[in-house]
Amino acid sequence: MKRAALLLLAALGLALTVYPLYGTGYGVRAMLQLFMWVALAGSWNLISGLTGYVSFGHVAFFGVGAYTGAILIVRAGWPWPAAAVAGGLAGILLALAIGWPCLRLKGPYFAIAMLGLNEVLRALVSYFEGLTGGGSGLSLPTLDATFPIYYAMGGLAAAVTGVTYLVLTSRFGLRLMTIREDEVAAEAMGIDTFRHKLLAFVLSAVAPGIAGALAARDQGYIEPISVFPLATTITMIVMVLFGGKGTVWGPVLGAVALFVAQEAVWARYPYVHPLLFGAIIVAVVLLMPRGVLGLLQLRYRLPRAI
Amino acid sequence: MGAPVLEIDGLRKSFGGVTAVNGVSLTLEAGRIYGLIGPNGSGKTTLFNCITGLERRDAGRVLFQGVRIDGLPPHRIARMGIGRTFQIIRVFPELTALENLLVVTSGDRAAAERRAQELLAFVRLDRLKDEYAGNLSYGQQKLLEFARVLMRDPMLVLLDEPAAGVNRTLLNELLDAVRALRDQGKTIFLVEHDMKVVMGLCELVFVLDHGEKIAEGPPGVIQADERVIEAYFGR
Amino acid sequence: MLGQVVVSGLLVGALYAMVALGLALIFGVMRIINIAHGPLLMLGAYVTYFLYQGFGLNPYLTVPVSMAALFLVGLALERTLVFRVVDAPELSSLLLTFGISIALVNAAQLAFTSDLRAVEYLTGAWVVGPIAFSKSRVVAFVVAAAITALVFLFLTYTRPGKAVRATSQSREVAMVCGVNVGRVYLLTFGLASALAAAGGSLIAVIVAIQPEMGQIWTFKSFLVIVLGGAGNYPGALVGGLLLGLVEQLASLLLTAQLSEVVAYVLLVLVLLLRPTGLLGGRQT
Repeated sequence: MKRAALLLLAALGLALTVYPLYGTGYGVRAMLQLFMWVALAGSWNLISGLTGYVSFGHVAFFGVGAYTGAILIVRAGWPWPAAAVAGGLAGILLALAIGWPCLRLKGPYFAIAMLGLNEVLRALVSYFEGLTGGGSGLSLPTLDATFPIYYAMGGLAAAVTGVTYLVLTSRFGLRLMTIREDEVAAEAMGIDTFRHKLLAFVLSAVAPGIAGALAARDQGYIEPISVFPLATTITMIVMVLFGGKGTVWGPVLGAVALFVAQEAVWARYPYVHPLLFGAIIVAVVLLMPRGVLGLLQLRYRLPRAI
Repeated sequence: MGAPVLEIDGLRKSFGGVTAVNGVSLTLEAGRIYGLIGPNGSGKTTLFNCITGLERRDAGRVLFQGVRIDGLPPHRIARMGIGRTFQIIRVFPELTALENLLVVTSGDRAAAERRAQELLAFVRLDRLKDEYAGNLSYGQQKLLEFARVLMRDPMLVLLDEPAAGVNRTLLNELLDAVRALRDQGKTIFLVEHDMKVVMGLCELVFVLDHGEKIAEGPPGVIQADERVIEAYFGR
Repeated sequence: MLGQVVVSGLLVGALYAMVALGLALIFGVMRIINIAHGPLLMLGAYVTYFLYQGFGLNPYLTVPVSMAALFLVGLALERTLVFRVVDAPELSSLLLTFGISIALVNAAQLAFTSDLRAVEYLTGAWVVGPIAFSKSRVVAFVVAAAITALVFLFLTYTRPGKAVRATSQSREVAMVCGVNVGRVYLLTFGLASALAAAGGSLIAVIVAIQPEMGQIWTFKSFLVIVLGGAGNYPGALVGGLLLGLVEQLASLLLTAQLSEVVAYVLLVLVLLLRPTGLLGGRQT
């Protein structure tokens, strides 16, 4: 059974690797987007799916990574791969700065603190106009790097999924889950919940930081509203909730399902989009709180690392 | 002999206007079973919470094997060798029985799994090791919590109402297990309402009433103590 | 200058206090953080706008109307959705109210468009010495203070009010005493929504109205609760005034843009140093 799954995975990997050679320009860009969402959703899952600490401001890492990467490319002439790494580092630093005070708090307080983070970052970007271009945004020198960025994003998505698998099969992952189950009991059993939360949080900030920088390079232009939109966080959350939080493939499933639906249907009705997502969140929370994979996992006793 | 296992000196804890623990002092020696009794609301669980760091005490000191532990975070205290079960069972429901035990350990995974299997066998839950803890019966969860407490091999074990809601056979198994732990040199401190359990198991009993220690002594003596009778039944 | 800061701070502080009281009630009674609180305020603002626009009503007379309307909306939300997550893990209630808030904001965008609206009713200020008292803010202060006082009277002296307080202190004990906890939840959520609506109506005369205006109010209400202490209802009053003062002070010393950053840093600091609130309250 496991061998068949591994073969399938390898086949998928191969297909995705050679796709750019055969696919259309539109197709490659769409896949690139999909990879990005898989990486983002998977990252949100690492902190919120496992520990139960809802990160409402997760797009902050994406935005910070985007601005860091863009500023380094535009103002310091860095090549985009290095800028992407710097984006990831920026994510880590922000996660430490926010996580260190806020993760000491219990779940609801942390959630609200994250809710306010977005607003604050947008205000800061406007304030430091000289560096960030303020409200008018930042333009990057033109460069067609779609193919390499496709592979970079793909690698990122694979890495996030792989890390999730490693975490879920380790005792570290189990301990993260005890934080979700019963934080008080976890502490009483000798688990340093603060350290664990912080580590998971930092881990969950790397990929969005890198993805932000890559996206900035790919779009060629960023402005506050495009990289700090609440909609991105909402989408991340919906994808993970729908697919199954706390699982390995849940975020992937959710990303694929919602991305496809988005492209096929809702792109035609952009205005209804958030309303629909809000309704989906409500529906999933009430009817299917574990998401599709979570439900299957429970019903059919699937292994934990599904 | 060395330092006593646990020393509590003038512990005080209030919640808003209510003083839950009011200047309690007591000492526990190694290798004995102690009981903590008192009417509802007398501060027993609060005392446990202060010892294990779940609550921050307002005043007083707690020393574990001669080292001050008051003010330390709960996970540090647990790692120093104090284990505790809860009045309302707190297993991790979406982890399996085995995982509930495994999660407490670090270091060599194979060794940890072996120890977990041993403890599960000790409480006769080994055939349920892959069952989600949330699906176990009340009694089974109680045993699981007990086994989990033992994973770190604590010197001091605090049991909060171990007999609550447990049938006679299971209870006897539990009591035998407690005595076995005592014979290994551990110290057990239990809060309990079931007087038969307290009388049969504990070597020394402390009595709390309205947050104050009103009596201490062997169970037979305590039973006859007037202040204790008053506390439970009123004047 | 300082005098102006104090006056402006207190004036807006009462508004913060009233709106935050609603959030505090839901948090205290149901242990839920209602992320949709801000959007409810926004809906209150739109009610006032349309009544003013459509019927030329004095916006301040629309306050009872918007309160009643949102009271009903709150009842409906609680009855259909929120009650299901009262005992669920916190993650569920956070996500649920988050989903509701997105849906409400977007519904408003669809229904009203994102165009900025305004209720130009009471402009200008009364000037006393060196200090300017913005007329609309003074009226808002008076109305907010009055409503808050009424709520406290309600909580202290009426039967339903006492039931709310009892449930907030201990649900189990309240149930044993014969309180219908389900109804208390309904009442609390409705009341909180009404308070948000009142805030929205009052603020509609002061700032521009658009669908996203409420979001920051959720955050600030929460900040007020944190400042005053969770479960400490009078604390919400002090917290509100304090937030008003701090904000005005910050925009004096720094730019107005950074006043939000200041609020945020304040929140984090208080949560770290005094998690039970400045006046002491319950820890969750």
